[in-house]
Amino acid sequence: MKKYLMIFALGVMALSTAAFAGTTAVNTNTVSPTLQVSATIQKAVQLTLSTGTAAVTHCTVTATGGTPDYTMNFGTVDALGINAGNCNKFGPANPGVDNAIYWSDYNVTPVFTSHTAISGTTITAQVTTNFGVSNIFIVRDSANSSTVPASAAAFTALATASADTIAGPGVTSGTALTRFIGVAVKPDNGATVGTGAQSATVTFTLTVQ
Amino acid sequence: MYGHHREPNLPTVESSGKVWHVSARFALIIFFLISCCIPARAGANFDLVSAPGGIILTQVGNNYIASFGTMNALGIGAPAAGVTVIPLSNGSLYLTSYALFVHGGLAAGQTGFVTAYASTNFAHPIALVLQSCPSSSSCNASNQFSNLSTNVGAQTTVIAPPGIVKGATVNAGLAIFVPDNNGGNAFNGTDQAVISFTMINNNTGATIETLTLSLNNPRETLQSAVSLTLASATGGLSIAPSTDYAMNFGNVNGLGFGPGAGLAVSATAGGVIYSTPYLLRPAFSDQSSTTATLKTFVSTNFAHPAVLGLRDAASSTGPFTPIGNSPGGAVVISTTAANRSTLTRFLGLFVSNANGATAFAGSDAATLTFTMTVP
Repeated sequence: MKKYLMIFALGVMALSTAAFAGTTAVNTNTVSPTLQVSATIQKAVQLTLSTGTAAVTHCTVTATGGTPDYTMNFGTVDALGINAGNCNKFGPANPGVDNAIYWSDYNVTPVFTSHTAISGTTITAQVTTNFGVSNIFIVRDSANSSTVPASAAAFTALATASADTIAGPGVTSGTALTRFIGVAVKPDNGATVGTGAQSATVTFTLTVQ
Repeated sequence: MYGHHREPNLPTVESSGKVWHVSARFALIIFFLISCCIPARAGANFDLVSAPGGIILTQVGNNYIASFGTMNALGIGAPAAGVTVIPLSNGSLYLTSYALFVHGGLAAGQTGFVTAYASTNFAHPIALVLQSCPSSSSCNASNQFSNLSTNVGAQTTVIAPPGIVKGATVNAGLAIFVPDNNGGNAFNGTDQAVISFTMINNNTGATIETLTLSLNNPRETLQSAVSLTLASATGGLSIAPSTDYAMNFGNVNGLGFGPGAGLAVSATAGGVIYSTPYLLRPAFSDQSSTTATLKTFVSTNFAHPAVLGLRDAASSTGPFTPIGNSPGGAVVISTTAANRSTLTRFLGLFVSNANGATAFAGSDAATLTFTMTVP
């Protein structure tokens, strides 16, 4: 009896489909290998600047592809508002007393993914490298809104020691925001003032939280 | 010593007046030792002998029987004992070695050479091709074998003239080439053949002896076979052997920043698609059809299916089609895949750009099952 059982078992083994791995098989017409696909998802953030579309004229935001990331040029400016500059201008109400404001709109677009907490997300700006002379400084729209400023009074000096929040908390990923930035030219004279080409750097920071 | 415990009906051996009662186990051991350790010898003047590492040649009268066992054209699985399989680009070669021993029929100073032919070829000679390797070769590579003649008048040389002297033993090779056959030439089942060996006196030209080797113990078995392998494509992600394969997209994000080597990124609604080319290599033999259908589906989905998804495309530019999560939702890759062809395909990994409670950052994995069916 045991001998017949063994013969039967051997017969079954011989007739059955033999699969040697998931990639090969014999005595059949189908085979099914598997592929395990793995990935590690990372949170991602992106903040881009672009030329505005809200004001009458716009200073171009140019992506450099290097450092700094973007540039904007207000052109030739003066404290009396004589020069037109490259975009918009508020001349001083009291020449020789008030500042002249040369300004432009711009767009800032935050994008972020795979963040579970986003309601406290903010965008800040700070002058991280100031002008080398005392008679010019960076200004921003005081309202932090897309409303086009109506006068020089709508602008505030952009902070140099800490960051100013210009959007949020609670910005939407992928939605461009219109903001306004400019330079105030002071009617100062003396040893610390300067003329000629001057530049400063503003650092924008997106924090998703 | 055995007489006191003798079992009924067991054989006895008489020697020098003593009677030995042999147990069945002892008889089996003796039979095994005889079968394994003593070369088969049948011919009056020359013999075929089982070579170390070769198949066992069993003597039947003045001739021999043997078998190559079970074979397939893709060389899948372990061959029978004493048989070596060499997978080739158009089939597989199952080879073995054997020895020829000359012990008579030659006078001193004479030599003899040996020829062979398939005196009874396989009934399916397109599916099973007898090949021979001469004694002058090492007979361990496919290019050392050639088709065995089926013509008695133009036999294949086994031991080339002038041959060997009496008392000499040489090794030669015998093989069965199993070519890829699909469609009308497909065959799977059993078959048998007989090879006739003739030894000729090189000095006189006289035939010394003819022996036969029958490949029927048991009959040779040819199986159908299928194989589907994946491989890395040039410029694509590496596909590593695993159970069965593994591919790692590495760090990905919903914005498509910084794709790793071998990856391309394209934007799509709700996120991005990281994609890579890869290769599918179907092979099949002794199937009724000459083309196969390739499909794939997600047999184990990502733990975060809203964030990650697998997609398929025929080209790098897409379109990328979501791959279903069940056999019924499988993506058809090809319905006309040819045997031993290479298909380049593109696997896409969708990564969502969503934020909020359903967002996920971390590692995840899914499994694709590819199925090749030869109808």
